[in-house]
Amino acid sequence: MESGLEHEIFAPADVLAHATPDVLANHLPPELLSKVLQTSLTAGAMTPEGVLATVTPELLAKHLPHDVLWACIAAAAARAGVTSTVVS
Amino acid sequence: MHRGGGGSCRSHQHGGLVNLKGFFVATLSSALELGIAKPEDLLRHATPDVLAAHLPRPLWARLLTACVGAPRVDALLVVETIGVANLCEHVPANLIWACIADIGHRALGRPTADEPILLQPKSVAPPPAPPGRNRPLTAPPPDVIARESTPAPAPAAIGPSIPGLQSLQDVVAELEADERGAIATPPVRDRVRTPTQQRFRQSNTGIGRLANSHTVRRPQAQAIAPLEQPRPRRGETEAEAVDAVEASTEVGAREDWRTALAVEDEQLVDWQASSEETLTSDDTNGHNGRKR
Repeated sequence: MESGLEHEIFAPADVLAHATPDVLANHLPPELLSKVLQTSLTAGAMTPEGVLATVTPELLAKHLPHDVLWACIAAAAARAGVTSTVVS
Repeated sequence: MHRGGGGSCRSHQHGGLVNLKGFFVATLSSALELGIAKPEDLLRHATPDVLAAHLPRPLWARLLTACVGAPRVDALLVVETIGVANLCEHVPANLIWACIADIGHRALGRPTADEPILLQPKSVAPPPAPPGRNRPLTAPPPDVIARESTPAPAPAAIGPSIPGLQSLQDVVAELEADERGAIATPPVRDRVRTPTQQRFRQSNTGIGRLANSHTVRRPQAQAIAPLEQPRPRRGETEAEAVDAVEASTEVGAREDWRTALAVEDEQLVDWQASSEETLTSDDTNGHNGRKR
């Protein structure tokens, strides 16, 4: 996930397209949720970049289901034309 | 503002009967509508940490969804998304009360707490209670519980005193022994019975009442005597067919009946002499008077 973001294989918005608010709310620990909200209130907006700045790829990999993260990677690969298989 | 009939002024009397959350919802909603309170006042105590610790995950999902799609994330968005009712439902009551207290103090021009309630040094130990109230709600158990050696008394009989099965059998045995006279029969408890006889003896219907009120039942036998009038002719044949014990009992009963009739025949002489005694005899034993 970190490498894909670093090499712009997918964007933070693509991550949140799979790691939806429902997924985040159900899998992130309370302290991370609090941190996301606090950061958003301070910044005045909740952007995908801000969310991923708080919930780093390492934390995503730690708390979110791996099939969700893999779906994000597979979708990015399909968009790049690497594979035609789209994992939902 | 008061809900549940108790009211805040008497909440110390009714305790949990007061609808505290309803009061909070009404108070905060009214304060927000009237502009007395601001959404920031709620989030001052209901911080993101508090929300993360107490709000259910579906509400968090709703909040994140609203925040991601909103152009601006502020306290108003958070309060409107979560809702005052959900805040009052899930956030601890002391925090909601701290919000209301701050709003009230500010509306009255009094100074409010400088820091949110969670940031203040919280006294872990409860404040010392007054001497008169430093006692548990329930009385403490005694030091030594003395057990009485005497057994507990038997519960008082609610209905009529019905003898037990064993005593019933004894009474029936005595009754049968009286009726049979010289006929030697083994005791009831020692006698081997057929299933039908055993079922009849153990039932608490006819024999039990007969055994309990043997002397009282004799006038009742006179009342049903006309119905059993043709039975003497069949008595001999029936006595041969049925069990010997049952037959001897019936014969004995008929003999009692005949004996009772013999006594009343003596009274029949008086009936012929006086008509007033006829009325008396009819009142007491109507069947016998007609039969005669």
